[in-house]
Amino acid sequence: MILLNVLRVIMVKNKITEAGRPADSRQVAGAKIEADNLMEEASEVFDSCIKCGMCKSLCPVFKVLKEEQVSPRGKAIILSDKIMDKILFECTFCKGCERNCPLDIKICDGVKKAREAMVLRGKGLKSNEEMMENIRKYGTPFGKGDKKDLEKLYCC
Amino acid sequence: MNKNLLKIYETDASQLKGKALDVVIPKTILEVRNIVAKSRRIVPRGGGTGLAGGCVPQNGVDLVLDLSKLDIIGSYDKERRTIEVGAGVILDELQAYLMLYRLEFPVKPASHAIATIGGMIATDAVGSRAVKYGKTSNWVKWVEIVDGYGNLHRKGVTELSDYSGMEGITGVIVKACLKLAPIRKRSASLVKVENFDEVVAIVHKLKRDSSVSMVELLGKQVSEMLGLFEPDESGEVKSAYHLIIEYEDDSGMLNGKEYAELFEMRDKIGPMLSGGGYSRLEDPKILLDKSDKLVSWFEEHGIPFFGHIGVGIFHPRFDHDQEKYIPEMIKLVKKLNGQISGEHGIGILKRKFVEINDQKILRNVKKRTDPENKFNVGKVI
Repeated sequence: MILLNVLRVIMVKNKITEAGRPADSRQVAGAKIEADNLMEEASEVFDSCIKCGMCKSLCPVFKVLKEEQVSPRGKAIILSDKIMDKILFECTFCKGCERNCPLDIKICDGVKKAREAMVLRGKGLKSNEEMMENIRKYGTPFGKGDKKDLEKLYCC
Repeated sequence: MNKNLLKIYETDASQLKGKALDVVIPKTILEVRNIVAKSRRIVPRGGGTGLAGGCVPQNGVDLVLDLSKLDIIGSYDKERRTIEVGAGVILDELQAYLMLYRLEFPVKPASHAIATIGGMIATDAVGSRAVKYGKTSNWVKWVEIVDGYGNLHRKGVTELSDYSGMEGITGVIVKACLKLAPIRKRSASLVKVENFDEVVAIVHKLKRDSSVSMVELLGKQVSEMLGLFEPDESGEVKSAYHLIIEYEDDSGMLNGKEYAELFEMRDKIGPMLSGGGYSRLEDPKILLDKSDKLVSWFEEHGIPFFGHIGVGIFHPRFDHDQEKYIPEMIKLVKKLNGQISGEHGIGILKRKFVEINDQKILRNVKKRTDPENKFNVGKVI
């Protein structure tokens, strides 16, 4: 879903639609409304959050960085205020936070919705957009590389 | 820091909201010293688990000093059975490390998974094993603090009281040497008791038993919320208190997985009540023999409560409509010669309830240790 949205934003940004025609202003406005709705939904996920911080204890991102802003509680606080920030991409969706939440808040769902909204609003990560471009153009996330490099890739 | 992200540091588990000037996250003690020397107002922050707003910055003039990155677990002294740790070390991470030596830091607040050692010392955290192990300060050999001029000092047991339990108003705790205890094999029991007089009698008996390390009380309302009521032989469901008793031997009924599940449930009581609308938490401390009056008052007003009854600390939870009863409760606690805060501290929430004599003493300590009036201004006094 996120990947599709990234593609959609790239197309809207470049004024190109799926059919190759220029995007009209209605489509841009539609993406904005969809993004606003997604942010509203993301914010609602955290309505019952009591900021106890129990979610931090199993968060691998917090364990490594030791910064409150990347912790699930940090994300919950900014999402309650519908703030879009790049820190929302610093989450592995491992759901450790949800396991420890005493109120069973679906934290990852909220973060996922907010990411979708950010992508729709053109506030996604450049590296993600580049990756999508590379997949579309070259069929790999790594871009135009030597064919020999591709041969080295193997699956477990 | 990005202004959007400042909001994250303008609140804590108390859910109070403030306004910060900025946030800094130092990685070394030297960085802390430089920041403190150059700043006008500092609010030290640990895990942000405080329930009295102790680390909530105010008026947009406070610089939040997040000490989470001072997380080095230092040298372990085998002979003295002590360990040096940074202020940002999380209690559970320390416990996991100490498993190697079959040792532990025995004080265990409910927020042990996220609470930092610096915060525990600053609030002199008590926790559920207080009946046997007492407060955090009982287990601290020395602390290193940064004063208002950016100088580093080591304070031993005799001066510890100027910093432990002072909620960061006297200096920034950056390092500590902790005493350790051997890990015990533990078991627990969940006991149903129908009337409070019986609860008092059982607790008195348990306190004389050296194998008991925890006695927790769950009030009738809390027991019901947790689904602990079961119909008796006649099919009737009777309301009752529940006691969680932890033993440091095999005397308890619950071991292994069941023991872990019981304490997982215990740790989630506070957040569960907050989620149910009972968001205001108090922590009066009172003599066990006088606690029946306080318990009757809670029940009369429909206030759910639980607590560390082994040391006389109760945790009543008030919803928005019941908050008006708090001054009345504090009046009752003072009348019964109790303390208004047994473990959470004064912070912002309970400032107005501090006795004038206590205020004078605290002001003198503040003046002596922080003449620049730099640390956590507007808290406690």
